[in-house]
Amino acid sequence: MNHAKKIVEVKHLVKYYGKFCAVSDVSFDVYENDVFGFLGPNGAGKSTTLRMLLSLIKPTHGTIALFEKSLSDHRSAILSKVGCIVEKPDFYKYLSAQKNLEVFARISGIGISKTKIAELLEFVGLQGRANDKVSGFSHGMKQRLGIAQTLLHDPDLIILDEPTTGLDPQGIIDVRNLILQLKHEKRKTVILSSHILSEIERIANRMIIINKGKTVVQGNVADLVSSSALIVTFNLTPVDKALEVLQHSNFSACKTLVNNASLTLQTHADAIAQINAMFCSNDIQVSGIEVKRQLEDYFLQQVQSYAN
Amino acid sequence: MMHLHLTHRMIFIVLFYSLSFSAQNPRVLLHLVNAKLSKAKTYSVDVEIKVDLPYITLQPIQSKLYVKDHKRFKLDTKRIAVLPKQGFLQFNTLLTDSIHYTALFQAFEIIKSVKTVVINVIPNSDTGDVILAKLWIDAINQVVVKTQITTKSSGTVKTEYQYGSQTAYGLPDKIEFLVDVKKFKIPKALSADINTSGTAKTQKKTGVIQVLLKNYAININVNDSFFNSDKKN
Amino acid sequence: MLIKCIYNELLKIAYKPRSYIGIAGIIIINAIILFAMKVDGSFYISLVTGQFEQTLAFEGGILNGNLVAFISIQMLIIHVPLLIAFVTGDLISGESAMGTIRLLLTKPVSRSTILWSKFFASAIYTLAVILCLAFMSLTLGKILFGAGDLIVLKFDGLVVFQEQDINWRFLCGFSLAFLSLITVATLALTLSCYSENSIGPIVATMGIILVFTIIGSMDVPVFDRIRPFLFTTHMAAWRYFFDTPLQTKAILHSIFILTSHCVVLLGIAFYKFNRNDILS
Repeated sequence: MNHAKKIVEVKHLVKYYGKFCAVSDVSFDVYENDVFGFLGPNGAGKSTTLRMLLSLIKPTHGTIALFEKSLSDHRSAILSKVGCIVEKPDFYKYLSAQKNLEVFARISGIGISKTKIAELLEFVGLQGRANDKVSGFSHGMKQRLGIAQTLLHDPDLIILDEPTTGLDPQGIIDVRNLILQLKHEKRKTVILSSHILSEIERIANRMIIINKGKTVVQGNVADLVSSSALIVTFNLTPVDKALEVLQHSNFSACKTLVNNASLTLQTHADAIAQINAMFCSNDIQVSGIEVKRQLEDYFLQQVQSYAN
Repeated sequence: MMHLHLTHRMIFIVLFYSLSFSAQNPRVLLHLVNAKLSKAKTYSVDVEIKVDLPYITLQPIQSKLYVKDHKRFKLDTKRIAVLPKQGFLQFNTLLTDSIHYTALFQAFEIIKSVKTVVINVIPNSDTGDVILAKLWIDAINQVVVKTQITTKSSGTVKTEYQYGSQTAYGLPDKIEFLVDVKKFKIPKALSADINTSGTAKTQKKTGVIQVLLKNYAININVNDSFFNSDKKN
Repeated sequence: MLIKCIYNELLKIAYKPRSYIGIAGIIIINAIILFAMKVDGSFYISLVTGQFEQTLAFEGGILNGNLVAFISIQMLIIHVPLLIAFVTGDLISGESAMGTIRLLLTKPVSRSTILWSKFFASAIYTLAVILCLAFMSLTLGKILFGAGDLIVLKFDGLVVFQEQDINWRFLCGFSLAFLSLITVATLALTLSCYSENSIGPIVATMGIILVFTIIGSMDVPVFDRIRPFLFTTHMAAWRYFFDTPLQTKAILHSIFILTSHCVVLLGIAFYKFNRNDILS
């Protein structure tokens, strides 16, 4: 039970476009200081859900509450505390970086000085391009400008939709570090949607996976991942004997992948020692054991199992 | 008493014969009129022009008119004014040009209690613009009371003159032009109307331009160059 | 917040290159008209007065700044709606095309406020265009040609307005022209709510103006009933101020029709914009 303050509460969210159901009964909660991972394959309904959170799209059914207030009734007050990047960050191409930020700062609800804007541009590494038109910016520079725009009014909730798309490895690291900094130093709450699942695993503490508009699973990243099967690779010889031993054991139901000199199977942590002892007692030489706890596998597994 | 009676008789006889003489020689009368007009070679006068013409809406305007040698005139105003194309000096040519025009006595006619001599002025050839002119002359005062001039270009314009303060110079206080407007046609493509279809409502076929003249300044000094500038621009 | 939003919208209009195409167009066309009248003004005047000059002579300064201004407005008032639609049709659809609509509508400003700000910004831009037209035609015209009476050819004759009777007519005429252009701007803004590209609303606006103008000019009884209610029928209503006697009833009717169009179109725009799901 999470005793932190609930920043986002989504209940039974539904969105129909005509007869097509884009989001079907999605519910989740985001608590204060969470980095909340939003995962799902393409077309799962992630962007639609996030846009509903930001009042860009009106839900067909369901309720959305941010900061314990109904979004539909307190939209302006809520959005004054929210910063976001939706899809790729787009700006007015005919305006400079500085002017773009001034335009958005002016309507962000609080007074934001030009000094603050300059500081933000320096923070994202664009201080030298402040007076250049955005039309000449690369994708990475626009992404950084987008992050600066998100932080203009020092929001309490930051929603980032695929923030590392198109960034180079250093850029990805910078965004990751920024999010961690926002969480730990500034005590911000972040909702992060991404396809780079390793990033979610590293950054997020809670997550939801949706597919075909429905919630597949949600909870703490650590709990979800630990409750899943491990991918264990036994480097051993002879492989065929090991396979035969396995198939005559209590672990015959485990999914198995056979290679020349290894056997990979899905099992739980407490089964590893038992399996190893079983191989050893059957004169199978085990030269190494590799354990992988991958969110990507978990994600794919959950999505595929849901699809089945 | 018999002396007075004789004097009246003499005056009557002199008048009768002078009129008769004039009637028999209209050119002489025209020269007398012209001689009077020639006393004022160059003059200026304040004018008020009132227009009552079909197809034209124009408020009265006040201006100053300059005339030199009865041949050149200029209306010194930026305001838009309308005058008959013939102007009001055309009859001056008819008064003096005995080569191209023949003056013929037609009749006597009373106009507003004034006995006038009606003289037809006919061009000697048909190449000019004037087709026929008729002048009503007050022989006693030697002024033109009325004209009717028919030209090829402008049709017929009747003009009436009233005199007062400057009768000695033959200069009128009031001129009324009766203008024939049958020829007016409106180029619809240029008209500034909105959503209007159909033709103009039927208008009368003649109109009046009235010119009131006062405050004459006689025999002033005006350079020829003053009359040379473009009137419209 | 509305003032800040309007300021933002004006800033965006001011920085967009297309905003100056209209202004430049007016300046260039006006300059051409002024040049042509300076060189050949008497020819144009003869077209107007020619039919009368067989019998009458026109004295005084016919070619003056007031006449040139009147000619400029008559010629330009056909083209200016396109220039207005060019900018106002882009106000929402342009943001959708650029993607900035997403950011804009996640700000703590109501959609209604944003739409009002765009409407007022388009009104201010339209006013700037009208003032530019007025300055170029009236002010420059009077500098080059001087002031004087205005001669106007109507379908039933010539009307001459005295100089002291003209300025208020131009002021009222420009005001009514401003209202008609606001109607065009509102139409373009409304169509912009339905599109995610800039060209669509602009072309649609001009298409509607063209079709309505054709309907209005066709002398067909079947269109007689709807013609008085088409806004294009009243776009030249500014000419009523150059009539004598003043057609007050017609002027008020035109103001009512144009204002009604603005109100209805704005209502549609607000309904659509507030309900739109932003998917771009």
